[in-house]
Amino acid sequence: MMNKKLIWIVDDDSIFKIIIKKLIAKFENFENVLTFSNGEEACRAFKETLDTKQKLPDVILLDIEMPIMDGWEFMNQFNILKDDFKDQQVDVFILSSSITIEDKLRAKNNPNIKGYITKPISLTDIEKIIS
Amino acid sequence: MNITKNFYRIINWFFDKPKFFGSIVFTTLSFLFIYIAFQNYKISKEDKKTEMTNTLNVISKNIEQLLKNSYTTTLTLALTINDEGIPQDFDLIAKQLLESNNSISAVELVPNGVIKYIYPLEENKAALNLDILNAELFKKEALKSIKTKKIYFAGPFELTQGGQGIVGRLPIFVKNKFWGFSAVVISLDKLLKTSGIQSIKKENFYFQLSKVNPNTGKEVFYLPESIKPEKNNYVKRYIPDGDWNLYIIDKDSNALLKLFLIKILISILVAFTIGYFMFMLLEKPKELKYLIQSQAKKLIKTELKFKAIFDQAAIGIVNVDAETKKIIDVNERFCNLLGYTVDEMREMNFQEITHPDDIEKSLKNVESIKKGITDEYTFEKRYLSKEGKIIWANLTITRFEKNDNSEATTLIALIQDITELKKNKGLIINSQQRIESLINTIDGIVWECDARTFEFSFISKKVENILGYTAEEWLSNKTFWQDHIYIEDKNETIDFCLNRTRASLDHDFEYRMVAKDGRIVWLRDIVNVVTENNKPSKLRGIMINITKTKEIENDLNNSFDLVTTQNKRLLNFSYIVSHNLRSHTSNISSLIELIETTEDEHERNEMIGLLKTVSNSLNETLTNLNEVVNIQTNIGLITEKINLKSYIKKSLKIFEEQIKLNEVIVNNLVSDDVEIIYNPAYLESILYNIISNAIRYRKKDIKSNISIKCYNENNEKVIEIADNGIGIDLEKNSDKIFGMYKTFSSHNESRGLGLFITKSQIDAMGGKITVESEPNVGTIFKIFI
Repeated sequence: MMNKKLIWIVDDDSIFKIIIKKLIAKFENFENVLTFSNGEEACRAFKETLDTKQKLPDVILLDIEMPIMDGWEFMNQFNILKDDFKDQQVDVFILSSSITIEDKLRAKNNPNIKGYITKPISLTDIEKIIS
Repeated sequence: MNITKNFYRIINWFFDKPKFFGSIVFTTLSFLFIYIAFQNYKISKEDKKTEMTNTLNVISKNIEQLLKNSYTTTLTLALTINDEGIPQDFDLIAKQLLESNNSISAVELVPNGVIKYIYPLEENKAALNLDILNAELFKKEALKSIKTKKIYFAGPFELTQGGQGIVGRLPIFVKNKFWGFSAVVISLDKLLKTSGIQSIKKENFYFQLSKVNPNTGKEVFYLPESIKPEKNNYVKRYIPDGDWNLYIIDKDSNALLKLFLIKILISILVAFTIGYFMFMLLEKPKELKYLIQSQAKKLIKTELKFKAIFDQAAIGIVNVDAETKKIIDVNERFCNLLGYTVDEMREMNFQEITHPDDIEKSLKNVESIKKGITDEYTFEKRYLSKEGKIIWANLTITRFEKNDNSEATTLIALIQDITELKKNKGLIINSQQRIESLINTIDGIVWECDARTFEFSFISKKVENILGYTAEEWLSNKTFWQDHIYIEDKNETIDFCLNRTRASLDHDFEYRMVAKDGRIVWLRDIVNVVTENNKPSKLRGIMINITKTKEIENDLNNSFDLVTTQNKRLLNFSYIVSHNLRSHTSNISSLIELIETTEDEHERNEMIGLLKTVSNSLNETLTNLNEVVNIQTNIGLITEKINLKSYIKKSLKIFEEQIKLNEVIVNNLVSDDVEIIYNPAYLESILYNIISNAIRYRKKDIKSNISIKCYNENNEKVIEIADNGIGIDLEKNSDKIFGMYKTFSSHNESRGLGLFITKSQIDAMGGKITVESEPNVGTIFKIFI
């Protein structure tokens, strides 16, 4: 029996958020799925979680194009906070409809980013992430 | 002739030896003078002797006369003696005798040597009865007179009766038998007086009377004179009646000798003076002669030198008669120049060798020199050589000799061959002209300046075409270049130029200058540093007008920037398009996958509902994209004149309800008469987007305020819309604010398209939009029309 994992979805597309939840629901490994509409919301939540010493997400699926705070800016904040949760592993995956090479390279060069997934996300992709 | 010559030779010989001549004169004159002095001395001596002799003669005659008288007296006295030997009337006769002869002091009769009768008796009593023949003092002389039977004058001696005197004794024989003496006594004083010794001047002479003492044999002197007769200083007369020697003695026998010696001395001195004078007299001419000789030598040397200079000078020298224009003298150089010999030349006048066209000019110049109008004339003329070749010469004429009217009689001409120079000059002028025309045809300003001061020494005429200044204007001011560089470029340009020059590096740079009419002209200056002794001395360069190129470059840069931004926007656009379309399509594909995999009817319906929503979004997105594409391709762009104020009013009507609801104050500050030419739909859209943003992003806690202005900035019309809303953090978002699908708040109405479209519309109209904003203060949009 695998441990149920906590997964955060950061995306401004409300339709996508519904879809991803449905897809994840097909796996029983995830205890909980939390969704945020932009980087700022996610960032705020992340800091709160750290402060209240609650469980940090095992996986963050991060969109790039978002209002107020985009995915890259979120990663900057994530990098700043990184030292506060050394004992816990948070895998960040970029999940974007962008297919530009610049975004992919940028993701690859960021050591905090574990992978880059182009939308639409398939069940196989989710399976990979969880395993 | 020969004699005269010899005479002169001798004279010259003497003149050449002033010391010798002086010595000869001195010696000769010395001898002559000494001889004369000697003769003079001899004559004087002779005269003196004669004078002395004569004087002595007179004296001795007087004495002899006295003695004769004495003799007569004694004789007369003797006659008084009668035959018995007794004197008769002695006193009477004696008295008469004494009276007739006052030289005699006393008379005596001395029978048998004893003085028995004496007159005058009184004075001579002491002598009475003196036995002479037995007195040692008188005996010898008395006996002598007896022996000679003649009167004999004894003495002088000390008389028995007193005083000095002489006694003349005449022996008397009666009947052949010695009777005694008849004697006279003459005092020495009387004797001397009678002789005249005392009356004769004694300035020069002394007299002396001496007698050899019969008893002692020694000569006794009777007169008290200090000087004794010596060698030649006296004349002597012997008086036998008394065995006396009468001397006349020269008082100063050496006077003549002394005089003679003095004369000799004077003679020598005079002779020496004359000799020296002669020496001086001859020495001076000799010195002068030597001076003349040395000067003459110098002159000869100088003349030879000048002759050499004259002949070997590198320029032709001609001496010309000012009147006849005949050539008097000419040097070889000039002869060689024209190909004549010196002798040929001397036969010619200068017209014969002058080019016919230049004769008149030459004559005129000669005339003005001749008359003294000018001292010197320099001009160029042509000569004709013997072969007929034209020789160009630079000629300088000066006056050489003058007559009394101060008119030049002869002239000196200095001729320099400038044929080659003329030829070269022609070539130089040609090439100079060619270079000059070349420089002036170059489409740039060719220049030269000092490397330290930047003072220009040359600037080509092109400067007038390009900058409007004449070359003279430029060159008249030392700092013209620095002064006319456009103020913004000045320091940088000068510093650059200085640094490069200091490093001796050629440079090529661009700067602006202010033209004469105030235009600003872009110049490219290509500069060469000319070094001397490894130090930059001059700068030479060319300034090219690159104003047009600069303008084109600017345009090009602008275009490039525009293209770059547009390209960027296009890229951004394509990215956004692909991204947006992809997000929808990926959603669709995901939904379809979910629909396919689900078996739950309810869930499937839910998915289909979502699919519908996605489809609508996709449709909306496509509509938006179409709108944007339309703006960016300028399709259907019509412009018309719009009154700005009324148009703003019209646009605000759309927000009427919202304004009222949110109590927003909108100040339309645009004046009534502002009219712009713009696309009305775009203007409406622009105003709508910005005002709606201002209302949407207002601050809830204060009264919102929106003001709209229109003004000119840098010749451009600006519409300014300012609010006091929440503002935008431009530090973070400046590159995103006009981007597509960029929103900066979580406002649910944000689409991220309004400002993108606004900017696209303004760009399409050829304007621009800027934004100034500060979070919590407000935002100002400026639309440049």
